[in-house]
Amino acid sequence: MKIERKIILSNAVYLVLILIIGGFAIQSLNSVSDRQRFLEIADDLNTSFLTMRLSEKNYFLFNDNAALRDIQNSISQTSDALDSVQGDIVPVIGDRSYQDLRSGLNDYSAAVNQAAVNNARDQQTADSIREKGRKLEATSNEITRLERTRVSEIITRSKWLLFLSFFAVLVAALIASRSFSRKILGPIKQIERLARSISAGNFKKIETPMPKDEFGQVINAINSMSEELEQREEELIQSKKLASIGVLVAGVAHELNNPVNNISMIAQTYDDMYEKLSVEQRIEFMRRIDQESERIKQIVNSLLDFARPKEPKLREIDINSLILKSLVLVQNTLNVSSIETRLDLAENLPPLFVDENQIQQVFVNLFLNAAQAMAIEGRLFVSSRLTEKEDVVEIAIRDTGKGIPPEYLPHVFDPFFSTKEEGGTGLGLSVSYSIIKNHDGHVRVESRPGIGTTFTIQLPVTQTRKETNEQTDHDH
Amino acid sequence: MSKRIMIIDDEKIVGDMAKISLEEEGYEVETFLNAEPALKRLRETQFDVVVTDLKMKGIDGLEVLRTVKKLYPDTKVIMITAFADLDVAIDAIKGDVFDFFPKPVRIKELKESISKAVAGTE
Repeated sequence: MKIERKIILSNAVYLVLILIIGGFAIQSLNSVSDRQRFLEIADDLNTSFLTMRLSEKNYFLFNDNAALRDIQNSISQTSDALDSVQGDIVPVIGDRSYQDLRSGLNDYSAAVNQAAVNNARDQQTADSIREKGRKLEATSNEITRLERTRVSEIITRSKWLLFLSFFAVLVAALIASRSFSRKILGPIKQIERLARSISAGNFKKIETPMPKDEFGQVINAINSMSEELEQREEELIQSKKLASIGVLVAGVAHELNNPVNNISMIAQTYDDMYEKLSVEQRIEFMRRIDQESERIKQIVNSLLDFARPKEPKLREIDINSLILKSLVLVQNTLNVSSIETRLDLAENLPPLFVDENQIQQVFVNLFLNAAQAMAIEGRLFVSSRLTEKEDVVEIAIRDTGKGIPPEYLPHVFDPFFSTKEEGGTGLGLSVSYSIIKNHDGHVRVESRPGIGTTFTIQLPVTQTRKETNEQTDHDH
Repeated sequence: MSKRIMIIDDEKIVGDMAKISLEEEGYEVETFLNAEPALKRLRETQFDVVVTDLKMKGIDGLEVLRTVKKLYPDTKVIMITAFADLDVAIDAIKGDVFDFFPKPVRIKELKESISKAVAGTE
């Protein structure tokens, strides 16, 4: 159902409930006011009856003959009144009560009329009149009393009825608005969660049964957007891969072309100038050819490292010792360039499960990189620390070198990207990158030209690492 | 007076081998591993031919070409590169380069080209 229809429907339900309550209230009010009208009439009647009984007394006690005429007048007035209000009071007190009243009045009238014929004042007449009058008064009083009770009953009942129906409407409204808001807020929450996970890069979808309203359409649209984004991302990754393969191929071509050219030029010179070359020169030529071949071999090896990163052989190691061990390996280079090393290694770091050789290769790469970035008399800062969540060890390697221009930063981990003046295959950083990635870690770079560069390595602290490693070893 | 050749290439062997062959031909050869000292030397004295690598860290071959042409419009520039990249070659030709060699370089062809370049300066 569309949300619009839901809103219209729930409003219609409220409206009907309110109309029903209104109907009850009006009906109760009408009934009360009808009875009120009867009570007014009954008061009038009772007054008339009282007057009649008074005149009775005048007739019998004070021998006032005019009193009988007064009673007769009163009776005829009351009779007329009863006739005229018949329509009003019959529905209220019922036809039987009305007829009781009527016949009581008639009996009384007959008795009075009989007495009036001969102005009789004997005991029998008096008793008859008094008896009829009392009966009439009693009937009237009884009906009045009953009606008063009924009025008060009706008022009490309608009070309760109004209260109950108010309560019913309240409960209905609460239930309806709750289920209504659940129907609306539920999908909104779902959509919100989805949007958040999409923006975090998880291209999920809402799999729950689709509501058949506007939210269904929105969820459908978001789902297909998510799908589209996922596809686009894959395409992007593919094209990036292709681009980096392009860079890789161009890099290999360039890297290999130089030593190949060197060998070729030595060979040509050797051939052309053989006679004029000294024996020492010839030996020197061959040695240089060998060196260039070694260079080619290294390029090919690091290319293979890059293409097929070896599965890390994980062992429990103390990362600080590994940092120090790696520093020893590059100490000579650091000394030559008068580079001062400053360490800030956190104590009590948890052991890490890493491939010692591979991580050492990363450290050596980054140390040499730092050394090459600093001409002479630079400072190399190496720090290690446990992150606040205690799930990652962070190693930062900072130099005071010339820095990397911002436009090169995104490419430093690309294969064959190199800003070094000379040497370097341009593979060191990209190999380091893939080693850290293989350890489920991260490596990032920050640099400010003229101030220095910081490489930050994050390695996860995982207790279960050893087991998974044994598992993989087992699989091999 | 023997003709003077300058060779700039960050691969030392390129300069070394070219120097042996060219000195044999009677040229006076100076080699440099990068462009900064080479350009400094050029400001001191003129060379007849400058052979430069195109892709070098720091000042590259195209900038060497522009500087040489500004200082000495008569000096011929020969470009060599490990990148056999057509776009760069076209740029180089537009920039008034005398000849263009992709690596690996044939020394014989280089010698012929230099001899043509030198003949042009006479």
